[in-house]
Amino acid sequence: MIELQQLSKRYGDLCAPPSRKLAVDGISATIRPGVVTGFLGPNGAGKSTTMRMILGLDRPTSGAALVNGRPYVDSPAPLAEVGALLDAGAVDSSRSARNHLLALGATVGIGPRRVDEVLASVGLTEVAHKSAGSFSLGMGQRLGIAAALLADPAVLILDEPVNGLDLDGIQWIRALVTELAQEGRTLLLSSHLMSEMQLVADHLLIIGQGHILADTSMDDFIEHASGGGVVVASPDAGALAPLLAADGVTLTSTEAGRFEVHGLTADVIGDIAAGHGLRLHQLAPRAASLESAYLELTRDSVEFAAA
Amino acid sequence: MPTGPTTTAVKSTSRRTEPTTTTHRQTLGRAIRSEWIKLRTLRSTWIGMGAVVLLLVGLGAIAAAVSTGSVTTPEEGGGFGNGDPLSTVLTGADFAVLLVGVLGALAGAREYGSRMILATIAAVPRRWQVVVSKVIVLTGVVLPTALIGVLAAFGVGMGILSAGDSATVALTDDGVLRSVLGMAGYLTAIALMGLGLGILLRSVASSIGVLIGGVLVLPTLAGALLPASLDSVLKFLPSSAAAAFTTVRGAGDEVLGPTAGALVLAAWVAVTLGASVLVITRRDA
Repeated sequence: MIELQQLSKRYGDLCAPPSRKLAVDGISATIRPGVVTGFLGPNGAGKSTTMRMILGLDRPTSGAALVNGRPYVDSPAPLAEVGALLDAGAVDSSRSARNHLLALGATVGIGPRRVDEVLASVGLTEVAHKSAGSFSLGMGQRLGIAAALLADPAVLILDEPVNGLDLDGIQWIRALVTELAQEGRTLLLSSHLMSEMQLVADHLLIIGQGHILADTSMDDFIEHASGGGVVVASPDAGALAPLLAADGVTLTSTEAGRFEVHGLTADVIGDIAAGHGLRLHQLAPRAASLESAYLELTRDSVEFAAA
Repeated sequence: MPTGPTTTAVKSTSRRTEPTTTTHRQTLGRAIRSEWIKLRTLRSTWIGMGAVVLLLVGLGAIAAAVSTGSVTTPEEGGGFGNGDPLSTVLTGADFAVLLVGVLGALAGAREYGSRMILATIAAVPRRWQVVVSKVIVLTGVVLPTALIGVLAAFGVGMGILSAGDSATVALTDDGVLRSVLGMAGYLTAIALMGLGLGILLRSVASSIGVLIGGVLVLPTLAGALLPASLDSVLKFLPSSAAAAFTTVRGAGDEVLGPTAGALVLAAWVAVTLGASVLVITRRDA
């Protein structure tokens, strides 16, 4: 369980004028165990800053981030409290993968047996003695995930975990993340790959310009996105269209005999058509994707949008 | 060439029956063990330590040979040692100081270059423990190495001097053992100052620059450029304070006594490391 309480961060605390924009501006949220929480937001929205504050790497300007009820820095066993993958490149390139994990594990008394076990579970056994600097992006990513899993933590924070992984690796992460959540762990996962996020996340935390834009279940988020229109094709379109018109319903026609309805479900449209004896050749709900729903939500808060 | 990992099996890591936060407590001892693994698994550590010993013994031996006349330099007479057998055999110390300074700076700043410091601080969030662990581990490596180096340089150098019928001193002579051990202490102190500066400045290059500037360049420059009335201040610089207990010479007003010199150098180390603890615990990682 991760609790964010009015969490704010302004960089350059000492000399920055108070007017300087907050990287994170008073966000409050609870990230629950047992589900995968997707953490989304445009570049510069404050995702990384928030993750760094949860891990005590950056000091909040105000507010607090609690892990299992206390600040991370007060945890008696930090690595066993939270496993984090923030920056897979943050390893000493001349040290072997195994020695890297041995050094990290040593801080909480984890020895070679567990290190070898974790190396095997991420598929790095064969390259365990190779220097981390010789690793490909995907192998480095696996090493970062191994470090996160090392002390069997109840909370996992993974920033772009599928970055650089091949299809095999992506499927592996997908299964791993789902399984870890089913075991009752708390998972906070960021990714810019919407299709990937749609597959694994149960809950969404979306931030933009330092504010929370949405804190909702994946299903609700997509369902309430306006992208979900219904495509209607009918030789009697001319007669059907006026019957559907009502407050909050929009019809857009793309070609003759074919239009898209927003504001009515396919069931209702079908019933109306049947009630008036009108023919339908196609009645297709267009499910909104996470991507379209997300783009709609963040359209106004994209900080570095293309000019 | 390793072919990419191919496993798709998800091995369950679940051992959720017992909360690992109670069985895997992070302690200072474990932080020290972690830093020890990190230091010993870098080849540069052992190359550097080997080089320190080689420099001390090799340059000491060369200087001793030159001063006995068995090896002649182009400009006859040589500048080594100025006739003092102890400083002749410890000729390599000036270079060893540079080397341990670099190794110390690496120990402090290297992780900032690789960003490994993020993993380190996440694993040991009570950040003072990171500094204390690095200090203990670096001391544990540099001090024995420096002791071996200076004692070997002393033995080899005096052997060469004695074979060449030049004047020698024994470890039992007044102040000699103190000077030899003091040199090992000085080398360790420089490594620790490099460590502190490395953490403070987060850059290997700039911490080496500040260390070399402060230890080697500043005393020479200041001694040459400032009026003699300021010599009483200059003796508190790290290198001058170290000279007070690493050389056997008559005490004068411009040099501190051996004990005072050791305390002044210790104060420099304490201030540098204390500042690095203050800064690392306050700034964002």
